[in-house]
Amino acid sequence: MKTSRIYIALFAVVLLLTSSVQGEVMIDGFLQGLYGGRVDKANPTIGEQTASESRLQLRVQHWGDNGNFFGRLDFLYDGVTDSYDWELREAYFRFRLGNNLDFKVGRQILTWGTGDLIFINDVFAKDYQSFFIGRDDQYLKAPQNAIRGAWYNPVGELSVVWSPRFEGNRLPQGVRLSYYSPLDQAIVGSSRYIAPVEPDADFKNSELATRLQRRISNFATALYFYRGFYKNPVGFDMSLGAPIYPRLHVYGASTRGPIAGGILWIEGGYLDSRDDPDGDEPMIPNSSVSTLVGFERQVVQNLTINLQWQTDMMMDYETYEQQAGAQGGYVRDEIRHLLTTRWTKLLNSELVTLSAFVFYSPTDEDVYAKLSAEYKYTDQITLAAGANLFEGSYVETEFGQFQFNDNVWAKMTYGFF
Amino acid sequence: MKRMMQLTMVLAIALMATIATGASAAEDATELMKKSHLAYYYAGDDGLAEVDMRIVDKKGKERIRNFTMLRLDNEQGGDQKYYTYFKKPSDVARMTFMVHKNSEGNDLRWIYVPAVDLVKPISADDKNSSFVGSDFSYEDVSGRHWSEDTHTIVGDSTWDGAAVYIVESKPKEEYDGFAVKRSYINKESLLPHKELYFDEDGELIKIMTAEEIKEVDGIATIVHRTMEDVDKERVTHVIFSDIEYNVGIENDLFTERFLKNPPMQYIR
Repeated sequence: MKTSRIYIALFAVVLLLTSSVQGEVMIDGFLQGLYGGRVDKANPTIGEQTASESRLQLRVQHWGDNGNFFGRLDFLYDGVTDSYDWELREAYFRFRLGNNLDFKVGRQILTWGTGDLIFINDVFAKDYQSFFIGRDDQYLKAPQNAIRGAWYNPVGELSVVWSPRFEGNRLPQGVRLSYYSPLDQAIVGSSRYIAPVEPDADFKNSELATRLQRRISNFATALYFYRGFYKNPVGFDMSLGAPIYPRLHVYGASTRGPIAGGILWIEGGYLDSRDDPDGDEPMIPNSSVSTLVGFERQVVQNLTINLQWQTDMMMDYETYEQQAGAQGGYVRDEIRHLLTTRWTKLLNSELVTLSAFVFYSPTDEDVYAKLSAEYKYTDQITLAAGANLFEGSYVETEFGQFQFNDNVWAKMTYGFF
Repeated sequence: MKRMMQLTMVLAIALMATIATGASAAEDATELMKKSHLAYYYAGDDGLAEVDMRIVDKKGKERIRNFTMLRLDNEQGGDQKYYTYFKKPSDVARMTFMVHKNSEGNDLRWIYVPAVDLVKPISADDKNSSFVGSDFSYEDVSGRHWSEDTHTIVGDSTWDGAAVYIVESKPKEEYDGFAVKRSYINKESLLPHKELYFDEDGELIKIMTAEEIKEVDGIATIVHRTMEDVDKERVTHVIFSDIEYNVGIENDLFTERFLKNPPMQYIR
């Protein structure tokens, strides 16, 4: 929080400084109202609202001779918690050294990898709570404080992202959305929430993500390495009595390019659970191998469809099976399959967008459907509505744990310059 | 009905003209359309412009798209690269879009969404789809290659006092965009003053009009054009400003690196 305050101060200073050289500075943003409620009465959350917020986003861009500055600041009134809040979503300085080195320094949104809402080598912070309640797509990604460098060399583009402080995913905490608590062995609301303990703010706990990318024929092909922690608090520390983020390394590769009138992507990664190399620590996840293949194409004019198939194979599965079986809890399959499809239909000269994204796991026996309709009433005003629907045979699975969280939402956005 | 008659007449004349003059006329027409295509879509070795696009529907409601557009010709009449940096409206501001136009095979297209730091390749087998929701298709923006149609000069006329050829073009392979296109090509600048697009039934579907042609760096340039969708009663205006040719845009600019880091030296 302290670092954020410093950034805010910097942001304000830059804003003041740059206001004197108008013309190179651009300010824009939006005002937005988002309202949503759950439709399942059985939900153990306190209230029925999943979203009730008014948001002002301000964006400031300054183009200088030596680089450019970009800031994105959100102010929020949150009716669910009856509180005011703000967040610096981005505040970075971007510059070039020589001809082959690009830098982006500061608070930023980071993305790489090939999956559509499936992430293997993208181990950057995400905000699944926002994702599940109808906030804009941009809120799926949570900001990280980082230094990003890219070196363009004859082999390809080598990118290095260093985050001095670990940034975990933002997950449902029981206020808006309920979730599965392993301690309670049940789906719970906020009264049972135990905040996970983050790694200490030491240099040894910083996060490092690298990618080497090269275009081979028309396929953007990449190798990845990540050193840090699981982004979800998937471990548990008995002495702390709280969930923790176990150490993680990810080694992976991906390729993506045009084929058969569409786009094909293939990605794989080895998730190396550093605190549980033999898979015998019951409170730490086992290592796993994750693979993904996807294909997207426009099937008729203004209708684009994609399909993805992900597998996740657990290492040392027998050990896990014995331990989990002994506890009498849910035992997952050795290989978890996940199928997804996205349908995007544009209507009325692209003013209306209908979208459906469905996740289905035949092995976990759970489903998550994300539906939305959006209408650009004018260049400034966008109206949208949607639903998030969850189904599952078990309360412990990735989407099954959210089965009481079915919700519908409506949103209005006014963009300005 | 009147339109049908007109079209039939024109076609009849075209047919007679073809028979009368034989293959050489067809070659002349193809050569003319090639030159016109080069003048229209390949002016200079590269080019950049600020684009003000206005989409006006039949109720008069206007939507704007402001962007900077960069173009590099790798080969006259062949491969080209386009780079677009969006400025307005607010929901697309700072997005970038890149096309590698491939004379053989499908084009390659990428979009970059800065709010989520996402580079996304777009499947691009449908060249007739709308460019950013306007009445211009992708192909209208970057040009349909002359070799994809058979061309016939069907007559001469004048346009605003300038001498023009009237050329009819028909797709060699079935195409959703049009069945017949009639172009009014300025004999001197070789730029089209007007293009009329007809469907298989001979119905007029789209009209391109060069509203203003100006010399820029000694190159005749359409600085204001419109595309009218006859059925929807919608018009899209495209107004170019700050046009520059032969600025020395480099090939490297049309890569993911610059998709994510817009070349601010070219953006006003």
